[in-house]
Amino acid sequence: MVASSPKVISDRALHDAELISNSGAWAKNARQLASARAQEQGLPQRRDEYWKYTRPDVFVQKNVALIPQACPEIGIFADQMKTEIVFENAKLATHHLPEIDNCKIESLSNASTLDLHWVQDIYGKLELAGQKPVERSLAALNTAMATEGLLVHATGQVSSPIRIHSVSIGITDAVIHHVVKVEAGASVTLIETGQYGARSNVVIEVDVADTGSFHHIRVQDGKESHMLTHIFASIGADAKFKSFTLTTDGKMTRNECILDLVGDNSSVTVAGACLGDSNFHHDDTVFITHDAVNCESRQVFKKVLRNGAVGVFQGKILVKAGAQKTDGYQISQSLLLDEDSQFLAKPELEIYADDVACSHGSTSGAIDEEALFYLRSRGVPEPKAVDLLTLSFIAQAIGEIEDPDLAQAILSYLTDILEAR
Amino acid sequence: MLEIKNLCVQLEEEDKQILKGVNLSLEAGKVHAIMGPNGSGKSTLSYVLSGKGGYEVTEGSAHLEGNDILEMEPEERAAAGLFLAFQYPVEIPGVGNMTFLRTAVNSQRKLRGEPEMSAGEFLKVVRAKAKDLKIDADMLKRPVNVGFSGGEKKRNEILQMAMLEPKMCILDETDSGLDVDAMKLVAQGVNALRDGKRTFLVITHYQRLLDHIKPDVVHIMAAGRIIKSGGPELALEVENNGYADLLEETA
Amino acid sequence: MVMDDVQVKDGVDAQTVDAVKALSGAYKYGWNTEIEMEYAPKGLSEDIVRLISSKNEEPEWMLDWRLAAYRRWLEMKEPDWAMVDYPKIDFQDQYYYARPKSMEEKPKSLDDVDPKLLETYKKLGIPLKEQALLAGVEAPEGERRVAVDAVFDSVSVGTTFQAELMNAGVIFCSISEAIREHPELVRKYLGTVVPVSDNYYATLNCAVFSDGSFVYIPPGVRCPMELSTYFRINAENTGQFERTLIIADKESYVSYLEGCTAPQRDIAQLHAAVVELVLLDDAEIKYSTVQNWYPGDENGKGGIYNFVTKRADCRGDRSKVMWTQVETGSAVTWKYPSCVLRGDDSQGEFYSIAIANNMQQADTGTKMVHLGKNTKSRIVSKGISAGKAQNTYRGLVSMHPKAKNSRNYTQCDSLLIGDKCGAHTVPYIEVKNNSSRVEHEATTSKVDDDQLFYCRSRGMGEEDAVALVVNGFCKEVLQALPMEFAMEAQALVAISLEGSVG
Repeated sequence: MVASSPKVISDRALHDAELISNSGAWAKNARQLASARAQEQGLPQRRDEYWKYTRPDVFVQKNVALIPQACPEIGIFADQMKTEIVFENAKLATHHLPEIDNCKIESLSNASTLDLHWVQDIYGKLELAGQKPVERSLAALNTAMATEGLLVHATGQVSSPIRIHSVSIGITDAVIHHVVKVEAGASVTLIETGQYGARSNVVIEVDVADTGSFHHIRVQDGKESHMLTHIFASIGADAKFKSFTLTTDGKMTRNECILDLVGDNSSVTVAGACLGDSNFHHDDTVFITHDAVNCESRQVFKKVLRNGAVGVFQGKILVKAGAQKTDGYQISQSLLLDEDSQFLAKPELEIYADDVACSHGSTSGAIDEEALFYLRSRGVPEPKAVDLLTLSFIAQAIGEIEDPDLAQAILSYLTDILEAR
Repeated sequence: MLEIKNLCVQLEEEDKQILKGVNLSLEAGKVHAIMGPNGSGKSTLSYVLSGKGGYEVTEGSAHLEGNDILEMEPEERAAAGLFLAFQYPVEIPGVGNMTFLRTAVNSQRKLRGEPEMSAGEFLKVVRAKAKDLKIDADMLKRPVNVGFSGGEKKRNEILQMAMLEPKMCILDETDSGLDVDAMKLVAQGVNALRDGKRTFLVITHYQRLLDHIKPDVVHIMAAGRIIKSGGPELALEVENNGYADLLEETA
Repeated sequence: MVMDDVQVKDGVDAQTVDAVKALSGAYKYGWNTEIEMEYAPKGLSEDIVRLISSKNEEPEWMLDWRLAAYRRWLEMKEPDWAMVDYPKIDFQDQYYYARPKSMEEKPKSLDDVDPKLLETYKKLGIPLKEQALLAGVEAPEGERRVAVDAVFDSVSVGTTFQAELMNAGVIFCSISEAIREHPELVRKYLGTVVPVSDNYYATLNCAVFSDGSFVYIPPGVRCPMELSTYFRINAENTGQFERTLIIADKESYVSYLEGCTAPQRDIAQLHAAVVELVLLDDAEIKYSTVQNWYPGDENGKGGIYNFVTKRADCRGDRSKVMWTQVETGSAVTWKYPSCVLRGDDSQGEFYSIAIANNMQQADTGTKMVHLGKNTKSRIVSKGISAGKAQNTYRGLVSMHPKAKNSRNYTQCDSLLIGDKCGAHTVPYIEVKNNSSRVEHEATTSKVDDDQLFYCRSRGMGEEDAVALVVNGFCKEVLQALPMEFAMEAQALVAISLEGSVG
C-alpha cells in the first residue's frame, strides 16, 4: 500500500504527538511504533482489494460531515446488567470503575501513564500481528491515538457480563481501544451498546489464555453513525471465543474481526445480523487463521436489506500447514426485501492442511414466497409475516449466542425494532 | 357456505389453463370430498381459494358466506374463516410454533375487530388442544415444522385448524405420506371439529382417508372440471375401478 | 516418475514394457518431433508484430489492429492477483513465431502436408490423414466423426472435413485463413468479446497471435459433426499464442473440442491464448477442453505457463453456452472461461476439473455476468491438489440491477491429497437486484479414508483406489464431456495423480 495521502496521516500525527508524550513508557513505545506503522502503510484507498466493496473515504477523511445526533435510548439488557460502565462523547463517564470479583478493570487513560503493566504485552501487539497478510492501517492509527478504552483483566469466572454503554451527542470523533486479557480458566462476557461517537474507530484486543473463555455481544444502532471496529484476538488451547454483533442502524459500518487460533482444541465463533434500511452500508470482514490442531471456527452472518441498503461480507478461513483436524464453517446470507438493495460477498478459503473439513455457503435472494403465503393463509397480515420471516432468517445468527438470556434479550429487542418500523 | 361458479384459472407465468370452469356448492356443516387423478387441478383449486400467488383467475367466482373471496388478500380470507391444511406444510426455522400460532390467532382476531387472546388464556387453550392431537410440549416449542416427521406436520396443521376455528376447512391431500395410525389420529382431529356448522372440503387421491372422515358428497375432478358428483358410494366406486372408467364415461 | 529409465529384465517383451509405460502415468506426450523449423528472430518488437502479420499475408487493418494492441501492451502491467508464483517472464527471450520449414509453401490439401507432421498427430492419437480420407465416404455405423484443425507451434497444419462442412454452410478453418478469406466476419466479431485491452496476456495475444481456429455456424444449422482443434507446442523457447473465434448465428448449434500437449522440456514455455465465442438468438455452443500441456517435472522444472482468456458473449436471447474443462497439465494455469449473459433467458454453464500435482499451480474459475432478464448460470468446479501443488478456484457471479429473475448455483469442491499441497477458494458474489437468487456452496476436505479403505479391502491398490475415488468426486463434470473426451479425461485423472500417494 502506498501512502498516497500522507497529509491526512501527518495531520493526525500532530494529534498523536501530544498523546504519545503524555504516555508512560510502555504506552509511549506502543503508540510510537503504531504511528510509524500507520505512516508506512498509508491510508486505505478505494482501489485496495481489501476495500473492494466498501469505500474507506468516510473513515479516513479529515473533514467528514458528521451529523449531530441525539443519544439513543437503549433499554436492551436492562434486566441483566449489574456491571455497567458508561462513555459519554468518547470519554469515560463512570468515574469509579466497578470492582468485581475475579476481574480488574482500569481505564486506558489512567493506565497509560503508569509504567509496568500486564497490558503492555497486548496493547498494539495483537493489532500488529493482525497486520499480515492484509494491512489495516486504520487499526494501527487507533493504537497510536486512542484516547480512551477499558483494560479488562479476568482472572477467574466473572459471574455477570460487563456492559459498556456509550452515548454521544453532537459531533464527535471517537478513537477507543479496549484490551481484554482472559487468564487460564477464566471467563468473561463483554457487552457493548450505544455509540462512542458520530464517527468511531474502535479496536478491541483480546488475549484468551489456554482454557479461557471470552464472550462478546455488541449492539450497533446509532443513527447516522460511521463505525469502524476491529477485534484482534489470540486464542490459546482448549479456549473459547464468541462474538455476536447486531446492527440495526448506522450510515456506514465496517466490523473487522481478526482471530488467530494458536492453541489446540479451541473454538471460535463470529456471528452477526443486520437490519438495513435506505442509507445503510454494512460490512463484515472476518479473517480467521487456524494455526493449531483440532480447532473449530464458525462464521454466521445474516443481512436483511431494503430501500437501497448495501450489505458486504468478506470472510476468510486460512488453515496453515499442520493445522490438521480443522473444522471451518462459514455462512453468509442476505435477504433482499426490495429491488434496490445489494449484497456483495467474497467468502474465501485458503487451505494448506489436508485433514480438514471446511465449507462455506452464501446465498442471496428475496423472501420465500411459499413461506409468506403459508403465514398469510393463517391470517397473519403481510407486513407481520415479513417480520416473522425476517426473524426466522436471522435466528441462526442469534443462535450462536451462548447465553440463552442474552440471546432472548437480543431477540426481543429485534422484535420491537421490527414492529416499530 | 362456499359457492364456486365457473371458476377458470391459468398460470400467471405461462399460458396454461388448469381449472376449466369448476362449479361447487358447499352447504354449511357438510363434508365434501374431491377426488381425482394427479394433475386434475385439485391442489390448484385449494391454492386459488386460499389466495396463493402465481395463478390468474380468468373467469368465474368464489364466495364465502356471500363475500367474494377472490378479491381478498390471503390473510383476509383466513380472517373470514377459510383455512387450508397444506399438503406440504412449510418449515420456518427460528420461529417457535407457539409464537407462530399466537401471532396467527391474534392477527385474525385483530382483523375481525375482536380483542386479542391473552398469553395465559392462549397457553391454556393450546395445551388442551395439543393434547388431543398427541402433540407434546416439545413440538410446541420447536420452530414451525422444522424437523417434524410427516405425521407431526399434518397433526400440526390440524392443531392450527383447531386453534383458528375456521368456518370453511380445506384439506389438501392430508393423507399423503401418512401411515394408518397417523392418518387415524389426523382424522380424529378433524372429526372432533365437525360440529354441524363447520364445512369441510377434503381433497384426496385415495379413498382410504374417507373411511375415517366420512363425506356427505363426493366429487370427481378431472382435467380441471368436476366430472361427476354423488354420495359416499362414488368414492368406493373409484376405489374399486380406478379413475379410468369414470373418465371414459364422461369423455 | 519417468519410465524411460526403467530397467527391463530379460524375457520381458516390448509390448509389456509399453503397457507398463502407458499405465505408469509418466507424461505420455513429452516426446519431440525432429523437424526443420523456421523462426522469427527472438524477442518482441513492432517489427516482430509486422513480421507475423506478413507471414500470415494479412490485410492492412489486421496489422493496424495488432500494432495498436502491441502499443497498448507496452503500457500494461503483469497482473499479480492470482495465487501463482513463477519467475518473471523475459518477454524478449522468447520466439514469437515458429513454423515447420515444410509449411512455407501452404499445402493445398492434407495430402501435401509434411509426413512428419502427420506422423506427429497420429502419434498423439489425432490421425489427420485417415480421417480426412473418410470425407465423402460413409462413416462406419455408430462412429462419430470429428473435424480437426491441427495447430503446430505457430501455424495451422491442416483442417479436415472442410468441404463437407462447407456443404452445410459451416466455415471451419484456421484463423489466419479466415482473416484472408472471410474478413467481413472476422472484422465484425474479432475483439468484440475480449476487448484488445482486456488484460495483459490477452492484449499480448492480440499483438502476436499467429494462428488458431475460426468457426462460423450459419443461422438454423446444427453443425453436422463435432469440431476440434489440437494444439501442439513443439519448438523450444517458443511462445504459442493462439486465437480462436467461434460465431454461432441464430438457432445454430456446435460442439467444439480442444486438446493441447507439448514436449517435455527443462525450460518453461509460454502459452497465452484468447478464445472468443459469440452466440446470437437461440444459439448453443458446447466448448470442451482437455488441457494437458507439459506440467513440468516433479521438482517444478519446465512446463507450460498457461495464461488463457476465454469468454462467451451470449448476445442473443435464449442462447446457451457450456464450458467444460479438464485441466491437468501446465506448470502454471491462469484461466477463467466466462459467460456474459446479455440476452434475456440466456444460460451459461461452467464445469471444471482442475488437477494440480507435484509443483503445479492452478488458478482457474469462471465469471458469470448476468445482464439480461431470466438468465441462468451454473458452476460446478472440482479442484484436486496433490504433491506440493497449489490449486485455486477464483470466480465471479454478478447479478446486475436489470438481470431480474435470474439464477445462479455454484458448487465448488476441493480435495486435498497429502499435507504439502494447498486448496483455495476465492469467489466474488455481487447481487444487485432481489428477484435473482444466488446460491454458492463450497467444501474442502481430504480424500475420504473410509472410501479408500473400502476400495482397498476389495483388492484395489492405493493409487487405483485414489483414482477411483477422485473420479467419483469429479463425476458431475466428467458427465458433461462428450463421450470420447470423457473416457480420455477419466484416464487422465488417474495419470495426473501418479505419485500423489504413498
